[in-house]
Parts: sequence; structure tokens; C-alpha cells
Amino acid sequence: MTSTLNGITLKGSAELVADFFSFGINSILYQRGIYPPETFSRITHYDMSLQLTTDPKLKNYLTNVVSQLKEWLFECTVQKFVLVITCLETNEVLERWQFDIDCDKSAKESSAPREKSIKIIQDEIRSVIRQITATVTFLPLLETPCAFDLLVYTDKDLLVPDKWEASGPQIIDQSEEVRLRSFTTSIHKVNSMVAYKRTDSV
Amino acid sequence: MDLEDDTSVLTTLKSFNSFISHTEAPQRLSEGSAGSGNLQSQYKRSMELMEAGERVHSNNRYLQLDGEKKQMELSHKRARYELEKVASDSARDLEHEVDRNQDLLGRLKKFQERETEAAKNLSEQVEANRALRKNMEALNRKLEERDTRLNTANQTISSLKDEIRELTQRIQNQDSTTSSQTLENQELQEQLDLQRRKHQEVSQLCQSLQATQSSCSEHIVKIKELELRLALQEQDIAIVKTVKSEVAKVPDLEKDLKRLREDNAFLRESRENCSLLKEEVEGLRRKLERMEKKKEELVNIELEKERLAEKLKAWENLGQSTGLNIRKPEDLSREVIHIQQREIALKEQNYTLSSRVRSAERSQNEHRAELCQQRSKTLEEQKKRETQDSLVRRLQKRVLLLTKERDGMRAILESYDSELAPTEYSPQLSKRLRESEDILQKTQSHNVEMEAQLTKAQEETGTLKLQLQTVELELESLKKHQASAADSNTSGTKEELNILRQKIEDLESERQRLEEQNNILEMRLERHNLQGDFDPIKTRVLHFKMNPVTVAKQQRQQDIDALREEVTRLSELVRSLQEGGAMVQGDSSINASLSLSLPPSKEVVDLRKQMESLELRNQRLKEVFQRKIQEFRTVCYVLTGYQIDITTENQYRLTSVYAEHMDDSLLFKKGSNGSMQLMETVFSKTLEEMMALHLHHQKSIPAFLSAVTLDLFSRQTTI
Repeated sequence: MTSTLNGITLKGSAELVADFFSFGINSILYQRGIYPPETFSRITHYDMSLQLTTDPKLKNYLTNVVSQLKEWLFECTVQKFVLVITCLETNEVLERWQFDIDCDKSAKESSAPREKSIKIIQDEIRSVIRQITATVTFLPLLETPCAFDLLVYTDKDLLVPDKWEASGPQIIDQSEEVRLRSFTTSIHKVNSMVAYKRTDSV
Repeated sequence: MDLEDDTSVLTTLKSFNSFISHTEAPQRLSEGSAGSGNLQSQYKRSMELMEAGERVHSNNRYLQLDGEKKQMELSHKRARYELEKVASDSARDLEHEVDRNQDLLGRLKKFQERETEAAKNLSEQVEANRALRKNMEALNRKLEERDTRLNTANQTISSLKDEIRELTQRIQNQDSTTSSQTLENQELQEQLDLQRRKHQEVSQLCQSLQATQSSCSEHIVKIKELELRLALQEQDIAIVKTVKSEVAKVPDLEKDLKRLREDNAFLRESRENCSLLKEEVEGLRRKLERMEKKKEELVNIELEKERLAEKLKAWENLGQSTGLNIRKPEDLSREVIHIQQREIALKEQNYTLSSRVRSAERSQNEHRAELCQQRSKTLEEQKKRETQDSLVRRLQKRVLLLTKERDGMRAILESYDSELAPTEYSPQLSKRLRESEDILQKTQSHNVEMEAQLTKAQEETGTLKLQLQTVELELESLKKHQASAADSNTSGTKEELNILRQKIEDLESERQRLEEQNNILEMRLERHNLQGDFDPIKTRVLHFKMNPVTVAKQQRQQDIDALREEVTRLSELVRSLQEGGAMVQGDSSINASLSLSLPPSKEVVDLRKQMESLELRNQRLKEVFQRKIQEFRTVCYVLTGYQIDITTENQYRLTSVYAEHMDDSLLFKKGSNGSMQLMETVFSKTLEEMMALHLHHQKSIPAFLSAVTLDLFSRQTTI
């Protein structure tokens, strides 16, 4: 990380946010049981124990997406980052984990580091991940086999790279939304929220 | 007698032995091989004679015993057979006798067995003897070992002789026992003869009794039958009567039946109708329930619709009240923006107007002040002009005076000039003239100056007047303006102000409303944002091409395809199997392919195994049956003395054990009711007597057969 202890640069911020997404996605996939729990291994990051996948395909996919995302974060062209959980049987979207990203585009011009310590940012990130873990208590059980997809909302003028393609927003029909905590690196502000399909039983 | 015999044999053997032992040494050289040959032949002959004697003796005994035994058996059988039919007391005696007979028979059999054993032993011994003899011959030929061998042979011979003696003794014992048994047998036979006679009598009596009994029973049966018939006839009569009465009722009943059938049919139809109606009712009930549900839904929907309509109306009212076609929130927002813009424009206008009013007021005040100033100025100017007019007049007057003075002066001067000589007064006068001229000039210049001043003043006044006029015009215009302004400013401006204020208030309220709406819309937008909606103008959504969802979907699709393929393949297989079951041999190619692709199912294998085991069992059963049948037939043959063959269906040929010829056989035919009938054969013709007695009189085939057996047996034994 290029950021110092007392300040943070755009690059450092992008890396920090991308790291958060990487751990956040792993955490969601583990908590929601999209992949079997035995394919995850326990590691310690942000002073807390997290689950990280060992599935090579999934690992490859995640590194691809997160590295690309890091670039876009650096360019401040990302608006949203969404993890969509789809039911494989009905092709219905069951959950949407949305991370709204507010980029301070002025940071692109001035390279001066912002004054916010990494420790505070990491504290904020930790609380967000804790909240993601806690959401399992109220989210409906995923009873059918599901797969996930990662959507990135970018600026319109962005050049679409190879291996990427346009997608629909994958909105849930009749959803309940819950806002989660947010954190900011003072360059990127990440608002998290989860939307899930309303079940009739409730 | 026998014992003496034995001792004589023993003594002869001893003497023989001593003879051999004593005479061997002196005779060895002289007689040699000839002596030994003599002795051997002698011995051999004596042995053979002895054996032959013994054999003949035993054979005779045996045959005798056998004959006797057979006779005894025969007699016993006959006695038993006859005794069975005798009365109870005689039967008891007979049984006793039979028991004894059986005992005797058992003993006889034992003796026979012993005898056979002895005979076997004897033959064995004979064979051993022969071997020994051969050995002896060999020994004789081999001179060196002859003595010892001879000794041993003699010893063995002596032992064998002992044994033979024992055996003969036994045989003699047996002979004695058999003789005693024959005595007993004779006694028994006598008894049997007696009993036979008795039995014949009894049997004759029995037969007569049976005949009478049978006739009696037949009569009784006939009586019973007749009684039964009588009862039946009575019953019949009663039945006939009832039937007649019933027959009378039949047409009515038929009518009733018809009616009932019709009723039945009608009822059946009605039942079907009823069930149909029930089903319909059920259907209708369900429909009704559904309809009620739908109705409720409809009511809900209508309520909702009304609410929506109200909302819509509100919206439309809003649209109408604002005079804009607001159909969508976007329109509204656009309208709001428009209105805000208009408001801003109006405000600006308002501000400009008020500022203009204020500036107009200010300018009015200024103008007023100016006017006052101008008035005062004009007054001043007028005063000035008046003063200047008066000044001008005074100056004109002075000018006139001066001119008059000048004229007077000139006249004076001229008069002076004329009167006085110019010389006396000239310097003074000229000086004075000059002075006056100067003054004149001065006055003139002053005059000119004054005139110039006057013109200037006049010009000034002119300009002032012009100014005044313009000012006055301005004033008038201002006054007019002020009047109009005062009109509007007083009543008009107030109204305007009020209107404007109201407008501002309206606009303010509208603004607030719009702000609220804006907030609501923003909230909605936020909600949409939360749900993941986005502005397609500014944003695009991207995702990785090979994301897990598409991968999983592809995988799923592949799986489904594979499964489908398998299903079609399997259904094909099942179909072909079903078809192929009928003609397995027909399409072996398909079968082959099937067997290649599909190993025979476990069930099939099991069935095959079962089939094989069943076949095996069948085979075994067949074998067992055959064996059993053979056994049964042999047993039948042995026990009854008849071999039973089935020549054609329902025909049985019986051949006796004791038949004199192979062709002597009896032929029975099984009747349709199970009774057996004797057919005529060559052999049966010879048995007329027995047929008459046992078949025609006694009506017993077994008795007949037994009689035939006995007859044949007796014939064979007599021969």
C-alpha cells in the first residue's frame, strides 16, 4: 500500500476498497451457502477471522473481477458494485448485495493524500463485514441451488474491456431492502445494502 | 454216529500223519516221486469223495428243506387267507398258529442263512484246499522244501479238516433241528388241514349268510327307495299345486316384472342423472367458491381501483388545476421546474418592477425638486430679465439721454465753435472734446457691451425658456405619469402588490408542495436506486462474461441435455426390449446390440437360474419317478407274484411268477365305472373252474388271482 499511516492516496484507497470487496464477497458466499463451507479456509484479516474460498475456479474469477474493479476504482468510474444471487432452477434473482460507491473525483486531480488513518477505515470495514455476517439472521433461507454474479455499474463513457459484457440490472421483483453500514476512505465512500425477495410467509 | 465218524476221520488223519512222518524217510529213496504221487492221488480222491458226499448230502438236505419251507409257506398263506374269513374263535387260534408259524419261519430263515453261510465257508475252504493242493504239487516238485511245506500243508489240512468237521457237525445239528421242524411242520399241516376243512364249512356258511344279508339289504334299500319316491311324489303333488297357483299369478308377476324393470331402468337413469347432478352441484359449488373468492378479490380490486382512481383524479385535478397535462411524476417535476423557473422569472420581474417603481418615485422626487428649482430659477430668471429689461430700458434711456446729451453737447460745441474762435478755447475745448469723445466711445462700447449682454441675457432667457418648456413638458409628462403612477400606485399599485403578494404566496405554497413531491420523488428514486435501478444515460452495467451464474447455467444445460439424451436412449431401449420380448430370436442384431449396450438385468439372470434349477429338479424327479416306478413294479412283482403291464390304455396284463409259459397271462380291462373285467386269453380258458368259483360266485378278483398263483405254484412244485 502506498498510503502512509496518516494519509491515504487514490491508489491506496482503490486498493483498500477492492480488498474490502474481495473479503466481502467471500464472506457473503460463505454465509449464504452458495458454495459448500468445506471449500473455504479461515484466515485473519482486519483483526478478525474471515473465510476465504479455496475453489480454484472461483478464486480465478474473483481475482479477475477485483483487479479490474481496482482499476476502475482508481479511475473513479465505478458507481455501484452488485453481487446478485440467482436461483438456478427458476432463474429468479433472490438477493442483491449492492455497494454504492461515491468517488471523490477531485482526488484524481490533486494527488495530495487525505488525512484519514487506515486504522479507522479498517474499523469501518470490519463493522460492515460484521453486519454482512449478521444479516444471515433475517435473510430468507436459500433452499434451491443458487449461483452468483457480480455486476459493476460504471460510467457510460467507459471502454468495455474484453471478457466483460453489458448486463441487465437484475432487479428483484418485490424486494425488501435493508441498508447496511457504510465506510469511507475519504476518496471512496461505500454504502452497502442488501435487497432480498419478499417471501409470502412473512 | 456222527461223532464216531469224526473220530474215525481224526484217527485216520493221525495214522496218516504218522504214516507220512515215519515212512517218509525210508521210502524217500526207494519210492521217490512215485510214492508221493500215489499218496497225493489217494488223498485227493478221498477228499473229493468226501466233499462230494458232503455236498450231495447238504444239497439234498437243502432241497428238502426248501421244498418243505415252500410248502409250509404256501400252506400257511392259504391257512391265513382262509382263517381271516373264519369266525372269531377260530381266527384267534389261527392267529396263534400263524404267530407260531412265523416264529418257525424266522427260525427256518435263520437256519437257512446259517446253512448258506456254511456252504459259502465250505466252498471257500474247498477253494483254499485246492490252492493248497496246488501248492503241495509245487512243493513236491521242489524237493528241498517239500517236507516242510508238506507239513505245513498237512497242518493246514488238519486244521481245515477240523473246521470241516465242525461244519459238518453244525450241519448235522441243523439237520436234526430241521427234522424236528419238519415234524412240527407236519403237525401244523395236519392242523391246517383240519382248520381248512373247518374254514371251508364256515366260509360256506358265511357265504350263504352274506347272500341272505345282501338280499335283505337290497330289499330294505328297495323299500327305502320306494318310501322316498312316495314322499317325493307327495312333495311333487304339493309343489305342483303351489306351482299351479303360482302359474296363475305368473302373468300378473310378469306385468309387475315389466313394470319393475321399467322402474328399474328409470331409477338407474335417475341415479345416473343424480350422480351427474351431484357432480354438477359439486362443480358449481367449487365454481361458487371460486366466484366468491373472485368477488372478494374483485371488491378488493375495486377498492384499490377507486383508491387509484382517486389518486389519479387527484393527479388529474392537479393537472387541470395547474392547466398542464401532468400524467407522470416526471411531467410534474418538469412542471415544478417550469413553475419554479417562472416563479423566479416573475420574482425577478417583480423585483425589477418594484425597483423601477422605486426609481420612478425617486426620479419623481428629483423631478419635483428640480421643478421647484427650475421654478425658482425661472422666477429668478424672470426677475433677472425684468431687472435686465429695466436695466435695458434705463440703459436705453441713458443711451437716449447720452445721445441727447451728446447732441446737446455737440450743439453746444458747435455753438461754441461758431461763437468762439477755435484758437482761444481750442486746447481746452479740444481736450474736452476729446474727453467727451472718449467718454462717448466708452459709453458706446459700454452700450455695445450692454447690448451684447442683453442679447446674451435674451439668449439665456430663450434657452431658459426652452429649458423651462422642456421641464414643463417633462413635468407634465411626469405629472401625467405620476397621475397614472399615482392611480396605480395608490389603488393600482396596492392591487398589484396584493396580487403579487398572493402570487408569491401561491408560488411559495406550490413550491413547498413541489418540494415535498420532489422529496417523495427523490425518495422513490432512492428506493429505485436501492433496488438497483440506474440511469441508463449516465451508467452502464457490466459483468464478467464467464461469471459463475452463466457457468452454472451452461453446466445445467449440459446436464439436462445429457440426461435428455440418456432418457431418449433408455426409452428407445425399453421400447426395443418390449418389442424384442415377443421375437427374441427374430432380431438377433438388435438383441446383440442390446446385449452389448446393456448387460442382462439381474432379474433375467435370476429367472434363468431359477429355470435351470427347475429343469434340473424336473429331470431329477423324472429319474426318481422312474426309479420308484421300477422299484414299485419289482416290489409288486415280488410281493403279489404278478408282473403288471399296461398294454394299451385301460388294459392290464398280469403275468404270474409261476407261469409255465411266457405267454401265459391274464388280461384285465378297466370299465368306465372303475370295475375290472377279465378278458379272454389262451391262458384264461384253462382256468374256467376258478373263474366260476372266484369271479362268478365270489366276485373277487384278488381271490381269483391268489387261487391262480396257488395253482401254478402247486403245479410247479409238484413237478
